[in-house]
Amino acid sequence: MTSVWLHRPRLMYLGLFSAAYVLGCGFAQSLAIVPGTGISIWPPAGLFIATLVLASGPSWPWWVGVGCLSELAGNALWFHSPLPAAVLIYAGNALEAMAGAWLVHRFCGRPVRLETLREVLVFVVMGAGAAPVVSATVGSATLAWFGIQSQSFTAAWPLWWIGDATGVLIVAPLALVVFQNWRGAAALSAKRWGEASVLGLIFLGVAALSLSGYLPFAYMIMPPLLWASVRFEFKGAAITLALLALITAVFTISGASQFAGDPESQKEKQVMLHLFLAISAFSALIVAAISRQHQQALVTLRQNVDALRDREWEFSQLVGMVPSHLWRLNPDGEPIFFNRRMVEFLGMDVPDTDKPGMSRLEALSEAVHPEEAEKFRGTLRRSLATGEPFRMRYRLRRFDGAYRWMSSAANPLRDEGQRIVQWYGLCHDIDDQVRAEEALRERERGLQELVDAMPVNILSFSPSGKMTYASKRYLEQVGSPLSHIEDFNALAKDLAHPDDFPTMFERASNGFANGEAFVNRFRRRDKQGVYRWIEARAQPLRDSSGAIVQWYIASIDIEDEVRAQEALRAAHESLARQSQAASLAELSATIAHEVNQPLAAIVANSHACHRWLSADPPNLDRAKITAERIIRDANSAAEVIGRVRALFRHSPQARSPEDVNRLISEVCRLMADEITAKVIRLETNLNPGLPLVALDRVQVQQVMVNLLRNGIEAMDGLLDGVRTLWISSCRDGTDAIRVEVTDSGGGFADAERVFEPFFTTKQQGMGMGLAICRSIVESHGGRLWAVNNDDRGGTVAFTLPLAVTETS
Amino acid sequence: MIDEHPLQRTSAQLSPQSRGDAEQPLVIIVDDDASVREALSELVLSAGLQPASFASTRELLDAEVLDRPGCLILDVRMPGTSGLNLQESLAQNGNSMPIIFLTGHGDIPMTVQAMKAGAVDFLTKPVRDQTLLDAVVSAIEIDACQRAKAEVVRRTVERLATLTPREREVLHEVARGRLSKQIAFDLGIREVTVKLHRSNVMRKMKATSIVELIRAWETLPLPMRGDSGA
Repeated sequence: MTSVWLHRPRLMYLGLFSAAYVLGCGFAQSLAIVPGTGISIWPPAGLFIATLVLASGPSWPWWVGVGCLSELAGNALWFHSPLPAAVLIYAGNALEAMAGAWLVHRFCGRPVRLETLREVLVFVVMGAGAAPVVSATVGSATLAWFGIQSQSFTAAWPLWWIGDATGVLIVAPLALVVFQNWRGAAALSAKRWGEASVLGLIFLGVAALSLSGYLPFAYMIMPPLLWASVRFEFKGAAITLALLALITAVFTISGASQFAGDPESQKEKQVMLHLFLAISAFSALIVAAISRQHQQALVTLRQNVDALRDREWEFSQLVGMVPSHLWRLNPDGEPIFFNRRMVEFLGMDVPDTDKPGMSRLEALSEAVHPEEAEKFRGTLRRSLATGEPFRMRYRLRRFDGAYRWMSSAANPLRDEGQRIVQWYGLCHDIDDQVRAEEALRERERGLQELVDAMPVNILSFSPSGKMTYASKRYLEQVGSPLSHIEDFNALAKDLAHPDDFPTMFERASNGFANGEAFVNRFRRRDKQGVYRWIEARAQPLRDSSGAIVQWYIASIDIEDEVRAQEALRAAHESLARQSQAASLAELSATIAHEVNQPLAAIVANSHACHRWLSADPPNLDRAKITAERIIRDANSAAEVIGRVRALFRHSPQARSPEDVNRLISEVCRLMADEITAKVIRLETNLNPGLPLVALDRVQVQQVMVNLLRNGIEAMDGLLDGVRTLWISSCRDGTDAIRVEVTDSGGGFADAERVFEPFFTTKQQGMGMGLAICRSIVESHGGRLWAVNNDDRGGTVAFTLPLAVTETS
Repeated sequence: MIDEHPLQRTSAQLSPQSRGDAEQPLVIIVDDDASVREALSELVLSAGLQPASFASTRELLDAEVLDRPGCLILDVRMPGTSGLNLQESLAQNGNSMPIIFLTGHGDIPMTVQAMKAGAVDFLTKPVRDQTLLDAVVSAIEIDACQRAKAEVVRRTVERLATLTPREREVLHEVARGRLSKQIAFDLGIREVTVKLHRSNVMRKMKATSIVELIRAWETLPLPMRGDSGA
């Protein structure tokens, strides 16, 4: 119930419906001119069907209920049938309306506008033809059963049916027009209004003329009726039909029409009237529907044409705006269309290619760069002949004479018979691209030349170890790798010297595994099969995520370097040997001198002794003295020999406690001449309270002499300033004394290397001095070192421990 | 230092032909090695000569013995001034005392240098006594000869000093071999006067003949010969 309540139509509509229904009943009553029948045109049927057609299904009970009340009211007012008969008749009418509406919906769908021929036919057949069968049957049966106005079923049925059908045909369209145009009056122009008025006047005039006389004249109304239908379509038809019905009714009632007559012919007349109205309505509706359909077709066509024009405009805009050249050729290759860009580029349109003495295509190919023109013509001609797509790159002359690279393509359009209808061409400006490519190629070539020019072999490997690049120089030197040794491991095994391979391979494998750059030095076989030393450096190239993309290996030939190093080492060794020999020679000269002195003395003394003894008389005293001297000198010679032997054994010699200061003083005296000759000031700063130190006097003196001489020589090159040599002695901690020799010369270039054997800055000299000094001091358990002074010159200092630690 | 005792003692006993300390040739030994120094002195002494030994060049120069007759025995290699240096400086000072070099290890360039500079001999240690003594004797003879020559010159110079300027002019012209007549004409004096001057010159120069006079003249050093008569 609630759902029915929810679908209740607005009360105003129900009220209006009810009023129209009651008025329709009254109208039908007034038209029931045939005595005793009470049956005539039944407008409520049209109203009811139209209402139900437009109303939604669930609201139907409301309409049926209101219709029932309205009919009962009409019955009470005019028909005066017994209530059961009235209810039955109404039931028939309601069933008729519902069946009609259902059938119309069934075959037309919603909404029903009666705008197409199909809808109109469905409406006529179903609403006006089939539905009245129900009411006619129910109504006639009711009349017959109740014996109302003594009607037989067969006599009442046709009248009832045609009355209902006419009612449906005339009222339902009008009702639909009224309902559907309830809001918004039809917007008719003044011209249309004029036409409508003229038509209305003509219609009224013709109606007045035709309906008041002879029956066939009645059909004179048809042209104005059809005119209205054609010009004003459904609305015109509906309104004129309603008017026609009214006029006819008025004339019939007043008896002025050809449908009024004596009671005998009344029934036949009635049928004629209904038939007239039904035919008119049918014709008008059909014509209106056709007209409507025609109009709609016209509208649709116009819309389509407009849409097509819009699309064509869009297409032409597109073709014009495409940043490429579009062109069309006919099957013979004559240009028939250039798009705007192409026209702008070439500075000529298709008609401009019409030049005397040549075809359009030739005129067009003149714009192609001379270097490519021949190929362009040939390619295009072949495509035209064979139907193959045309593809080519060429330079095309712009309107200003500049040539730009174009990438052009053309395809044929074929009809169903595979005949070529047209050629469509597309042409891009790729000049910037070509130039960029050229620049890139140029750069790449430059880079390649650079790589080739460098005295380095460059290889690259993929992370999996496959060779991806080998520089020209590599290929020249090593030869092109065979396909089976593009793999790094195989390559290394093939090229590296068997002795170097294991180390080299291990290092490379580690590098590859850990992703770390590595360096390898090994011998590599070149094209001639000669092994040469190379240094190969490998470096990974990583992408932004850190994964290795490529390995680069640059190798340099270091053969000469390695050879030079070997030569240098050999030279060093030979030098060392020579130095050894030289120092041996020096040493032996010294020893010779040392031993020679006592020997010379012995010889001279021997001679003298001999002479004293040979004198007459022999001088025995002198002979004795000389003999003693001989013994003494021979001993001293033996001592020298012993000391030398001790020196060579590196064994500590007999050390005696000595005063270092006295030793220094002696050395200074010994060097005095040299120091004076070189204009050097010697300053001593000796600590007087130093304890005695056990040392080898000769060796330590040798050290001091050496240090002083070094200091003197360090100041040799000095041109400015005072040349000063300082010697100082002091305590070094509690258990040692320290002696320092400082000069004001150039200092040491490398204060540590000076102690290396054969390190010398002097023109002459073995570079043994300081090394020997150090070993002497160290053999005494002390230390000897050199430092550069803060201001100028250098200092060599050594310590001697008080408690001697014997070192051998 | 000078070994005084052997020198004094032996000179008295062992040199019969000695003519006193001042005149006896002195053999000066310079060597830094004391034992060598002693031994050489002993050898010289045993040969009847007077030795004097020094440890260094400096000691030698301090002793002022270089104007005495005799010779030098020098060690080439010595601390301070070497023997070769000493030879050089003596030559520069006009001292022509003969030098014998002794060395432990002489090389050829050193020898050549020494001999070119006027050394008497260049001997290597140890040296045979006779070799050394022969060298010493010949050096002393050279010295004596040099000294005798120097004495003659000294006397001539002394005599020349007694001449008057005019006599010196005449001597100069005579020495050039000109005749008295030519000299007289040149000097603008009479021939008699020239002869007078010449006889005075011969007397003063203690020359018995013109030949003797000219020989004496020629011993004079060149500057002295040229300065008169110019």
